[in-house]
Amino acid sequence: MTTRDFTVLTDVSMITCIIQRGKADAIVQAAQDAGAQGATIYYGYGSGVRERLGLLGLAVDVEKEIITILVADDQVDRIFERMYFAAELDLPGAGIIYLTKLEKAATYIPREIIEKVGRAP
Amino acid sequence: MATDDSLSFGRYTRELNVHLDEISYNEMIPAIELDEQGNEKPHRPSSIAAGRGDIYRLLKPYLSVRFNDQFRAVTPLAIYLVLFQIFILRQSIADSSIITAGLIAVILGLMLFMEGLKVGLMPFGEALGISLPAKAKLLTVVVVVFLLGIGVTFAEPAIGALQTAGSLVDVRQAPYLYFLLTQWAGTLVLSVGVGVGLAAALGTIRFIYGWSLKPLIYMTLVPVLCISIYMALDPELSKVLGLAFDCGAVTTGPVTVPLVLSLGIGIARAAGRGSDSLSGFGIVTLASLFPIVAVMILALTLSMSYSPSEIIAASTMAQAGSMQIPWYESSPGVEIVGGVRAIVPLVIFLLLVMVLLLKERIPHAKIVSFGIFLCVIGMIVFNLGLSYGLSKLGGQSGGLVPAAFTQLETVADSPLYVLSLGLFIAMAFAWVLGFGATLAEPALNALGMTVESLTSGSFKKSTLMYAVSIGVACGISLGVAKIIFEIPIAYLLVPGYLIAIVLTHFSNEEYVNIAWDSAGVTTGPVTVPLVLAMGLGFGNALGAVEGFGILSMASIGPIIAVLTTGLYIRRKISKSHVVFDDSLETVSVV
Repeated sequence: MTTRDFTVLTDVSMITCIIQRGKADAIVQAAQDAGAQGATIYYGYGSGVRERLGLLGLAVDVEKEIITILVADDQVDRIFERMYFAAELDLPGAGIIYLTKLEKAATYIPREIIEKVGRAP
Repeated sequence: MATDDSLSFGRYTRELNVHLDEISYNEMIPAIELDEQGNEKPHRPSSIAAGRGDIYRLLKPYLSVRFNDQFRAVTPLAIYLVLFQIFILRQSIADSSIITAGLIAVILGLMLFMEGLKVGLMPFGEALGISLPAKAKLLTVVVVVFLLGIGVTFAEPAIGALQTAGSLVDVRQAPYLYFLLTQWAGTLVLSVGVGVGLAAALGTIRFIYGWSLKPLIYMTLVPVLCISIYMALDPELSKVLGLAFDCGAVTTGPVTVPLVLSLGIGIARAAGRGSDSLSGFGIVTLASLFPIVAVMILALTLSMSYSPSEIIAASTMAQAGSMQIPWYESSPGVEIVGGVRAIVPLVIFLLLVMVLLLKERIPHAKIVSFGIFLCVIGMIVFNLGLSYGLSKLGGQSGGLVPAAFTQLETVADSPLYVLSLGLFIAMAFAWVLGFGATLAEPALNALGMTVESLTSGSFKKSTLMYAVSIGVACGISLGVAKIIFEIPIAYLLVPGYLIAIVLTHFSNEEYVNIAWDSAGVTTGPVTVPLVLAMGLGFGNALGAVEGFGILSMASIGPIIAVLTTGLYIRRKISKSHVVFDDSLETVSVV
């Protein structure tokens, strides 16, 4: 019987950031500059604050982009904060960012890193 | 890996810059309100008042994107015209400050108008398109679409350019043309509108029954060509031909195309035909062919009721009598009235259909009415900019370009160049203008993307854009040649459309749809007034009878170019298939 190696990552958090359509790239760039490895962007549609802004709400697009980034717990606060400012979320209607603690994740991990940080097989 | 016993410099500076606070979300939830019976009332959030700094930060990206869109469409053309005039023709720009202000007005006006269209008129049209087929009979739907076609024609910004053009025509040289553009200007626009309305109605029926576009094109073009030949034989009527064909190009602008399309697609979807990827095409084609017939018929009616001499007499009388021009017929009153008249009837019509026929409330009434307000303001500003900026600049350049090869009183030591070089410069000027203006047109970019996905990548976006631009450029060059050499427009248009018919016959349905629609898409709100004014200025400087026809050449050009490219692509694909099949065969033989 052959055994196969399976390494899961722990201490992972997920940052989800919802912003207006077309703004994701700059925010992902800010997150990557701060050490995030990858990002997934998908499209959505939604509003909330927009309706409460009156005519000014026209300046807020109802089409949204949703970024999800998986980050290590040690870097999460730093990236969370960088993304908040890159997305200018201190503006009404600009969007929201939130953090979810994940139990585990699994993906490709370079062999030399497993050897370096992983437990001996 | 970061460890807790060292402090990174980044973390240190962050602590200095960011003051971190935590609030529990529980503290922000609203209290539950109860009514008299003790039932829970639905929560209605209060509106948020944004601070002044926030308003600026919210509006800045919103406005700058929209401003830049229009800025990018207008400025390169204006700079090209100015540079050409200064360096090649060595003439300074007259009234440069007024023209600059006018161009800024065009940019602002288009920006406001487009945004108003997006938030005001379009949602209105879409709501109608969705609920109309569900609640009304097919006949009612077709009638509403027909009336809407008339309404959008009046709202089209470029249609104002036609009326401006009327003042440049000399009554003695082309009485019918003059009469159509002045006294009968309203009737002219109405007949164009009827053409667009019929096209929209027919296009909708085509959507529902899934008819092929080819027979419709043949059926429309036969009367177009027959009447053209008849009119070309009459010396007075032949001068109106250019106008008739130009009207077809003017109609398919930024209002007609999206509004009629959104309604048509909604209806087609309700009829269960929405899945056909080509269903969006065709209406634009018909909407650019039908008005030609409509204007021709109008011209024929005019020629039957009045003789040229009667018109000349009447208009000279009118000119003598009209010393006191009322405020609404002089600038800027005429622009304001024009802006209101373009939008308000369309809105009232849509409103009546919505309320009386469908008995539905308008969605987001506040935002929609704000959008309509923006449309009206935008239209007024755009019209002002048109009169003082685009038309003026185009007319000036057009009037000066002939100085390159002929003698003009207004230009000292003209002709500036020897005849052959001068003619070449004039044609090249027109070519580059057409090429640049078309490539900059945002609608073309959108069409290119649709086409690329429709043909699964075999017709590339850039291929289409260059094919259309080259077609327009060659068309405009030919149009200028028509004015220089006084070629009757029928000699260019009739063979042009005949070639298009032959190519249509050999092309498959997809390319036919794309090619005929590309002609309508290219003639946007910036290109049309500029090219019209240039042509008229050009014609005036040369003493030609009329400067129309350039636009119509600019719409037949891309049809031929795109059809040819389509045939070429199909040949290339079928060739590669043959090679592939051969190799398969050899493999099986071995």
